[in-house]
This record gives sequence, C-alpha cells and structure tokens, in this order.
Amino acid sequence: MQLHFERVAKSFGDLQVIETFDDTIADGEIVALVGPSGCGKSTLLHMVAGLQQASAGEVRADGQPVSHPAPERTLVFQEHALYPWMTLEANVALALEFQDQPAREARKQASEWLARVKLDGFEGYYPHQVSGGMRQRCALARAFIARPKVLLLDEPFGALDALTRMTLQSVLRDLIEEERPTVVLVTHDVDEALYLADRVLVFSQRPARVLESFTLGHIPKTHDLTAFADIRREVLTLLGIDTDTPSAEPRRVERGETA
Amino acid sequence: MSTTSSTGVASKKAYVLAILFILFFWQVAAWFLPDFLMPDVHVALGRLWQELGSGEFYQGLGNSMGRLGAGYGAALVAGVVLGLVGGTLNAVRSTLKAAIIILQSIPSIAWVPLFLILMGFGNLPIIVVVAVGAFFPTALSVMNATESVERVHIDAARVMGASRAQMLKRVYFPAVTPELITGAQLAFGNAWRALISAEMIVGFSAGLGKSLAYSGEIADMTGVMTNILVIAVLAAVIDQVLLERVKHRLLRYQYL
Repeated sequence: MQLHFERVAKSFGDLQVIETFDDTIADGEIVALVGPSGCGKSTLLHMVAGLQQASAGEVRADGQPVSHPAPERTLVFQEHALYPWMTLEANVALALEFQDQPAREARKQASEWLARVKLDGFEGYYPHQVSGGMRQRCALARAFIARPKVLLLDEPFGALDALTRMTLQSVLRDLIEEERPTVVLVTHDVDEALYLADRVLVFSQRPARVLESFTLGHIPKTHDLTAFADIRREVLTLLGIDTDTPSAEPRRVERGETA
Repeated sequence: MSTTSSTGVASKKAYVLAILFILFFWQVAAWFLPDFLMPDVHVALGRLWQELGSGEFYQGLGNSMGRLGAGYGAALVAGVVLGLVGGTLNAVRSTLKAAIIILQSIPSIAWVPLFLILMGFGNLPIIVVVAVGAFFPTALSVMNATESVERVHIDAARVMGASRAQMLKRVYFPAVTPELITGAQLAFGNAWRALISAEMIVGFSAGLGKSLAYSGEIADMTGVMTNILVIAVLAAVIDQVLLERVKHRLLRYQYL
C-alpha cells in the first residue's frame, strides 16, 4: 500500500506541531522517522493510523484519504498496549475477533503467530507475568496476525534494554521480509533506523519539518552498521549530537590486558 | 502469592477475634442489665436455633433475599450500563456525575414515603429503595473507571478495527471491572441497610426487618437481639464470602 502525504500540517490549538510534510512512501518501502522527542513524529504516525486528523493537507493510502482507523493500517505502540486481563494468546486472537472471525479459528492462528515470534509455551501467560521483551514480541504477533498492508511502529522497543532491543529488531526485520508490508517506524534510536529502514527521514525540532532524507535502499543488513558510519554521523550531527573525532587517538586496550 | 494467602489468614484471624470481642461486650451488658432488657448471648443463640427449625423464619428470610436480589441485581445492571455509557460520553459526563453525587447524599430510606404512595403498599417500593441505595455507588465507580481507561488500550482496539459494541464488551468492561467490584461491595452495604430499614418501616409481609420491628413492638428483647444477630451474620457472609469469591474469580489475572 502506497502512502502519500500532501502538505500535511498539524496544530493543537496555538501549538504548531508539524509545519508541513510532503512525501510518498512506496508500497513495501520501510521508512524511519527520527527526530528530537516531542517533534510530532508520533502525531504523523497517528494520522496514518486514522487516530488523529491533519489540521491541513491530506494523508492518502492507495489514493484514498485516511479518515478513520482500519485493520489494514495497524499500529504497534511503545508499551502497555496489551490488555492485562487477557492471556498472550487472547491478546493476539483479539485482532482477528475484532474482524468478526470465529473465536476458535482466531485462537488457532494466534497460537501459530506466537510460535513465529518464539513465544510458544507462553500462550496462557498474562502480560504482567512475562518480560518486557516478550510483551513486545506478543505485540508484534498481534500486529502481524491481521496481515496489515501498512505497519506503523511508534518507538516499539523504546522501553527495552539494548540487547533485547537488538534481538527484537532482528525478529521484526524477519517478519517484515516475510510479510512485506509498507512500514513507517518512529524511533529515537539512529542505529535502529539504519538497521531496519530503506529510507531515513530526519526531523527538526517542533514545528517539525524534514531536515534531510537518506536513502539506503532495500539491502541485506546485520547489526554491524560500520558500512553506514558516514550516514550515521550525518544524522547525529543533524540531531545536534557531537560527532567530531577528538585529536588524540583513544588508546586501544589489547585483548587479555586488564586495562 | 504467599503475601495474599498470609493476609487472607491474618484477616480470618482478625475476623474471629472481632466476633469474640463483640459477643463479649454483649455478654457483659447482659450481666449488668436485667434479662428483659438485654438477654444473655446463649439465650439469643438458643432462640436462633429454635427459629432455624421453624418455617416462618425461612419465609421471612426468603422474602428479604428476594427483595435484595431483585433490587441489588437491577441496580448493578443499571449502574454498569449508565456508568459505561456516561463515562464515554464527554458531553454529559460531568453533569451526570454531579447529579449522582447530589442524589447519592440522600439516605435511601428517605425515598420510602414517596415510593410507598407512588407504587402502593407491597414489595415494589422496598425493592426500588434497595435499588436506589445500590445504584449510585455502582454507577459512580464505573463512570470514574471508564473515564480513566488507558488511552493506549482504546487506541489499540480502534486500530484493530473494534466496533463500538466490541469496544465496550472487550475493552471498557474488563478495564473497569476492578473498580466495579469495589463499587459493588460498597453498593451492597447500602442495599442491605436500605432493605432492613425499608422492611422495618413498610412492614409488608414477612421479612428480616419486619420481624425485628415486630419484636421491638412487643418488647421481646431476645427477639430483637436474635434478629440483629441474623442480620449481621448474613451481611458478613454475603460480603466476605460471596462477593470476595466473585471478585477473585473475575480478577483471577491479578492474583497470578
């Protein structure tokens, strides 16, 4: 599904959040939005989901203006979006039950999807009984089970520790490769953007506008991002992070040496 | 898990001690006062035993429980519906809440004369008074809880394509259940007080309240104390055993 943004602007009362945003995201493209917090990236994502409306301009999905939420455009939230009163399996099945699929069939598919995110054996657990990483795996299963054409991710791994985050990024990448939805990812983590996205858009402070767009292309990647060191440095500089190499070379600690 | 079971045991112990304490004070009063003013505990217990063998007692008990069930049940259903609908309608919410708070401050028993004339002498005015007593705390707790359902839980359901009915049933209702149960326990206290006092005043057919009022009228203090004993025990059993069971069952996920 192609997403088209035409002069999209958003204000809350007097507060201008998005100055203007023009872009076309191709079918199956993976785009990451990075920028300072509170710059309106999430608002943009909510507009694609149909949870919020643009103050001016228009968001179109395959040519149709987006006016309300639909399961074909699904959103993965940062955390706490699983229902605490339901087991993991029931949480995943709910996505199908809301589309009026019979409960038995929904349960069956839910348990298959839990297995795909390596949560087999945890079907009967409640969200508070499992770790944050497992909860987000479950959230991914709940998003993918409805076979969305557009997958929107709002800082999905923001609350996780660095190692768990990397593992989940790989899980997500595999799922995207298998299902090929159009993906829009909002993140604070530049490495996450570089690892997952085909294109990275860097946003300014509020009111948000695009400072720069980096096209990486849809290429196989690993967590070793040294090939993207130049882009990484440029993105960080745009975000106001100091990346000047110090004149003195840092002393390298040899393996086996005890510092 | 160990903490919940240990507090469970502790509160059971506290309950037994409290009961012994209350009975002790009653007995002390009975020692100092003449028998026709305050009967001994064992005399009242003996009367209770006698009552338990008579059909009359069960008829009164059945009537009272029927009225409680009808009034309390209707109030719970109406309170949940109004609370959920009121809580999701931003336009009317604060007005509705203010109205409930005002109406709640009227003791339920104050409605008896009105309902008695409006509905005539019979079961109905008692049931309605019970329902009025239980309705407000239920509606208020559900409405407050509905307001504070987490935004992300609502958004997630909308994104998954939930209809309004599915949203109420699968998201709002389970989200408000913990507060609903607290409200329902509060409502039970109100309903119970309303039932006994309405029965004492209206005096229509047999019932726990009527039996108590009658014992008072004929100055049968053993009867009075026996009735009070029955009323206290029943309330404790319904609240601490029945409602607590329902609570643990509905909120099973929280106790894991």
